[in-house]
Amino acid sequence: MEPILLKNVGRPDSHRLEHYVQSGGYRGIQNALKLKRDTIIQMMKDSGLRGRGGAGFSTGLKWSFIPKDPNLDKYLACNADESEPGTFKDRVIIEHDPHLLIEGIMIASYAIGAATAYIYIRGEYEFGARRLEQAIEEACANGYLGRRIFGSDHNLDVIVHRGAGAYICGEETALLESLEGLRAQPRFRPPFPALAGLYGKPTVINNVETLACVPSILDRGPEWFAAIGPQKSPGPKLFGVSGHVKKPGVYELSMDVTLRELIFDHCGGMRDHRAFKAVIPGGASAPMMPAADLDTPLDFESIAAKGSMLGSAGVIVMDESTCMVKTAFVINRFFSHESCGKCTPCRDGTPWISQILKRIENGQGREGDVELLESLCTGIFGRCFCALGDAAVMALRGALTHFGEEFAYHIAHKKCAVTN
Amino acid sequence: MLNEKTLKAIRNLEKDYPDKRSLVMGALWAAQRCGSGVLTKEDLESIAERLDISPVEVQAAATFYTMYNVLEPVGRYHIQVCHNIPCNLLDAEQIVAQVEKSLGIKNGETTADGKFSLTTVECLGSCGTAPMMQINDEYYENLTADKVDQILESLE
Amino acid sequence: MPKFTINGMDLTVPEGTLILDAARKAGFTIPTFCYQADLIGIGSCRMCLVQVEGQKKLIASCVTPVMEGMNVLTESESVKNARADMLEFLLANHGLDCPVCDKGGECELQDMVYTYGPHKGRYAEQKYRWHEKDYIISPVIIKNSNRCVQCMKCVRVCKEVVGQDVLDGIGRGEIQEETTFFRGILDCDQDGNCIEVCPVGCFMRVPFRYKTRPWDLKKADTICPYCGTGCRMVIEERDGLVIRSRAQLGVGINSETLCARGRFGYDIVHHPERIKEPLIKRNGTLEPVSWEEAFTEIETRLQVAEPGQIGGIASARLANEELYLFQKLLRGMLGSPNVDSSTRWDPRAVSGYVAATEMASGGVSLFDAMRSDCVLVIGTYLSDENPVTDYMVRRMARENGTAVFIASPRAMKLDSTARLSARHLPGREKEFLEAATRAVAGTTPKPSADPVGPAALSIEGLDDLLGDAGLDAEIFGQMAGQLQTAKTVAILAGTEFLRFPQGSGALAALRDGLRSAGKEVLIVPILDRPNQRGAWEMGVHPGLEPGYRQAETAGLGSAAMLDAAAEGDLRALYIVGEDPLTSCPDPDVAREALAKLDFLLVQDAFLTETVQMADCVLPGACFSEKEGTFTNQEGRVQRLERLMRPVGRSKRDLRILLSVGRRFDPAFGADIDSAQDGFSEIRKSVGMYANVSLDFVNQRNTANELDNRPALVGSSGETVPLPEAGPASPPVADDRRPYTLMTGNHLFHSGRITGKSAILSGLLKGPVAEISEKDAADLAVSSGDRIRISGDRHEAVLTARTRRGSKRGVVFIDENFDTISVNRFFEKGCYLARVDITKI
Ligand SMILES: Cc1cc2nc3c(=O)[nH]c(=O)nc-3n(C[C@H](O)[C@H](O)[C@H](O)COP(=O)(O)O)c2cc1C
Ligand code: SF4
Ligand code: FES
Repeated sequence: MEPILLKNVGRPDSHRLEHYVQSGGYRGIQNALKLKRDTIIQMMKDSGLRGRGGAGFSTGLKWSFIPKDPNLDKYLACNADESEPGTFKDRVIIEHDPHLLIEGIMIASYAIGAATAYIYIRGEYEFGARRLEQAIEEACANGYLGRRIFGSDHNLDVIVHRGAGAYICGEETALLESLEGLRAQPRFRPPFPALAGLYGKPTVINNVETLACVPSILDRGPEWFAAIGPQKSPGPKLFGVSGHVKKPGVYELSMDVTLRELIFDHCGGMRDHRAFKAVIPGGASAPMMPAADLDTPLDFESIAAKGSMLGSAGVIVMDESTCMVKTAFVINRFFSHESCGKCTPCRDGTPWISQILKRIENGQGREGDVELLESLCTGIFGRCFCALGDAAVMALRGALTHFGEEFAYHIAHKKCAVTN
Repeated sequence: MLNEKTLKAIRNLEKDYPDKRSLVMGALWAAQRCGSGVLTKEDLESIAERLDISPVEVQAAATFYTMYNVLEPVGRYHIQVCHNIPCNLLDAEQIVAQVEKSLGIKNGETTADGKFSLTTVECLGSCGTAPMMQINDEYYENLTADKVDQILESLE
Repeated sequence: MPKFTINGMDLTVPEGTLILDAARKAGFTIPTFCYQADLIGIGSCRMCLVQVEGQKKLIASCVTPVMEGMNVLTESESVKNARADMLEFLLANHGLDCPVCDKGGECELQDMVYTYGPHKGRYAEQKYRWHEKDYIISPVIIKNSNRCVQCMKCVRVCKEVVGQDVLDGIGRGEIQEETTFFRGILDCDQDGNCIEVCPVGCFMRVPFRYKTRPWDLKKADTICPYCGTGCRMVIEERDGLVIRSRAQLGVGINSETLCARGRFGYDIVHHPERIKEPLIKRNGTLEPVSWEEAFTEIETRLQVAEPGQIGGIASARLANEELYLFQKLLRGMLGSPNVDSSTRWDPRAVSGYVAATEMASGGVSLFDAMRSDCVLVIGTYLSDENPVTDYMVRRMARENGTAVFIASPRAMKLDSTARLSARHLPGREKEFLEAATRAVAGTTPKPSADPVGPAALSIEGLDDLLGDAGLDAEIFGQMAGQLQTAKTVAILAGTEFLRFPQGSGALAALRDGLRSAGKEVLIVPILDRPNQRGAWEMGVHPGLEPGYRQAETAGLGSAAMLDAAAEGDLRALYIVGEDPLTSCPDPDVAREALAKLDFLLVQDAFLTETVQMADCVLPGACFSEKEGTFTNQEGRVQRLERLMRPVGRSKRDLRILLSVGRRFDPAFGADIDSAQDGFSEIRKSVGMYANVSLDFVNQRNTANELDNRPALVGSSGETVPLPEAGPASPPVADDRRPYTLMTGNHLFHSGRITGKSAILSGLLKGPVAEISEKDAADLAVSSGDRIRISGDRHEAVLTARTRRGSKRGVVFIDENFDTISVNRFFEKGCYLARVDITKI
């Protein structure tokens, strides 16, 4: 597939405005400014672009929920919090092609009528944040941002807002709370951000990769975009592959690629000649999939049909040497550490699970622990305020479903079945 | 008290937000980066005063996020080793052990000379180049035990 | 109006009704921790999960509105399991120290685990401990975070209702802790609403700690004795000691809130200076006597005076029944028209205020007032004087989107809720209101260049008014503009109108101006004594008889009585519950006047300075010891319930008044034997009380209907005319003394009675002098510094406290401290003085 999102990555000075413009950049926004806002939103719908932040929601539809009242302030928030373990795709765009993102932000802002856009970037990405700030400065200096962009009557300020270490800020309503200077605990919906988001004003929240897809749609047309990959999951997709593969990294592919092709063709297969054991297809929140599922294509529906989710497309590959109790513990430790503390089941349930998993891993498992874990999963799942608690459960359930016997062995023998 | 540099940084943020409360995170960053690296009680009070909110709200925000060092100083070099699953699969534990061994401190501690602190952290978005660590703002990737020692030695 | 089903029952509810509210109203119980009707819903505790047919997940009923066709199950297996699971999670890190927890027996977590399980805990891991020992966060609040269920109600009530932001969640996730800034000591309203809303033993009362188990308490449902808001509260005693007062969710206009005075001022009942027996002065000292002796003494000594030579002053802290009998005794039995209810205000000022606020036309609910487009708060430091009214205004302004405007010299907490706050010079309510009246009548508040036309005419002189009042034209212009466009306006008018009576005429003019501009106007008086309105409506006023009837012959007001006493024209004075020696503008003059009397009869619960001058002393009862009714500022009549017998040989004031009266006529109050009888008589003879309902049941009201309208007084049918302009006006500028001194109530102290509370006195050691932050900067003074305030007549050294946003050039001193006689600064009849400030 022709690179679209990564086409500039790897070229010298790919992050500079000059380079971006030379490679055809900022054409999309100029096309957009000649169009009616509704036309752009219709193009987005026609393109079939689905959010790359995790949920896969139609981007055009999301934009269309914004009220048309010109007297209302509106905001765009770009979700650059990228904290899902195993996910590192947005960072590539941020660091290597920031203008692609900025152009996407410009088009989205114009389409929804926002004059201010915030890029919420995780605090650890200090390098990326500076890159973005430099790019914004360049764009401002060239009159691309600020007042009357490209001579239109649309104004736009883009502001980089640094997070400071909290996974939950990736959740869109928590992100808004954080932008407002509060503790980032998710908000109840409704009202949805499209009606009452940042400062109570209509707000669109989009992932970095989602916005990076936008310029090409405006440049080359929605039909072109819709024709890439599977019908229901069209367009280019970034897969961040990590773990026990020969060539980990970010791959841009269409979503008809199967897990097997991704791992064994694109990533050069398993590392150190060890056998494949399991793969997490969509960041730590997604349940792991066993070898039997390797031929599943990486589109939203197919992965869901196998009981997992495409999520952030952070593909974590594990070979036969991997202890699943430890994996489950490490993942659960993450979720309990990141629980925002708002709702009871996630706040008090995930740390409980972590403690049990840690015990089992340390050879202090007790009879009944697996049943207790399963019961705690039931206690948490579907009862949390946001998706974080559910994600913790799904990840654990994936391990228990496919590798239950490893847990049993660990408890019975006080040691690992895999590593010794 | 907030120093002049911090105050200037805070003033620069004012135009970016319609509501002063939104400056909390930026102000905390400014105070931490332009100051001694630690946020003191007085820092939080001064920020509250500037933003017209109550000190406890500033503390609430500051302590929600892990990157603000409220009252707890870290060394000149803050070594943060990712211990989340992708790094863990590629033996992040060995990296932690190596840092501990080389510096003679445990996870969560600071060397006696105040030069290094070691913390394990959650995924830093560098999973394709695991295992990795971040020292201050810098990422160090594709680590091995040897590489860790070289890096530590190279730091002034 | 969506139709839906709960547990098989078909219901129709108004659009937007929460599933939880609908279910509770229909009689189903759904457990909750984080839900509270008057706080913004957060849906976090997950106790209220219910099943909705067709939905994959359970739904939080406390944040989800009912939708057409929903089929809700509140008792399905999955719902029950979820509740048990949530409780098990909450118990994971819970301290489980119930045996030593003050909340034991009335703990919501205990009750819920009892009802909804799990009855066996599976948590066998290390518990997280936030701290080892309970820690103090205020002189009255102590904290144990190990018991927290993270419902955030403490934080939310503090922010959303009280308007303070002194609590928040510190840390994240499992280890987050709702507490103060670095667990430090609070400098806040100290109202303990955080304690009230806490479902577990996380926030506790220091004075109540380890005193008792709740099931050993005897309780009474009564009304707070401290300000005109009229909060309902429950007071509780054990072994004859009042040890707690609390509010109840969904009960009374205040619902769960009280201020520091209401929550912690109950200990006055046991003050060592309670008078426990009747006393008669013999050879210069007060000696205990029997009631019989005292009554005989009164009978003999009062009979000597001519009717016109007798006067009576009764406190606005007495119940309606007592006040009614008091004026009846004075007017009917003793034949004297000299009766008044305060030593602070001129009776003409009272008439003017009554006229301007239209009290004679019946009660006005604050809930109605807060549904107006605009609410103007003027002549009151609402946040300090009537704290719970401040909470109600804040809460309802948020819920209803009301634009609140404040006009006052001092900044106050409510400013943060107000859309606009105008700062005027002390005593300049009149000029503010006149300017507003003109602006409302004109089309624009700015004077027009066009000399003809009504707009220009009506705004003539606006600049002068704004200048005199010291108002910012910009802010005033915005306020006036919004008043012009509002369709409904409410005015909350406080007791500054009684100090500066010239404002009442202007208030009436604005009211009429708004009405003639086609707007609806409601006025709610804001009063600082619990039964001030009742006192006036019972006719304890020299010119107004019960029900605001004009007295045929006007009597003397308090100040005039003292003057007459000084002249020797008044021979006997019967004072109930007032202490003119401390409340009169000039204490020395008052002392001389009282000394001249032939007979000074004082009935009081406490040994005041005035009591010490008395010839005969009758020991009255404290609020917890009596029955009767209070009429709050809105005109809501509410019942007091008795918790205990009066201390020692003291008696309820109603009984004393009856006994005194019957000495002169055995038929006095013949139909009255109890407070209930007293109220029946009031119903009969005071028309506006005829249909008032006292049926309010002081019980948790699941429908959250706090506005008990049947308790509002009706119209009296009388018109109280506005008197000619009253006496007081602000002193003229004096370059030698650049500041204007004003006085008033403090958050912890309304009148002298709260000073008897050891707990309240512990919150603030002495009076402070408050100045604006800007003046403080000029004077290089910071909070806590000592400053000297010097005027022409008096000077005092006080601790300074600065306040952001107050009018410059104004000093404020709390008037209710025994340690400083602020009134000495003033000329008689004046409430302002020019002073100097020097830092020492
Ligand atoms: C716990 C949690 C964490 C999330 N983290 C991220 C994230 O780091 N980056 C992101 O883009 N979306 C994240 N999301 C998804 C966002 O809430 C949101 O759906 C997304 O930003 C929408 O953008 P899109 O429509 O462009 O995908 C997260 C969601 C949840 C529930
Ligand atoms: S599931 Fe609950 S506690 Fe967990 S992150 Fe979401 S809201 Fe916070
Ligand atoms: S898991 Fe270590 S960088 Fe992602």
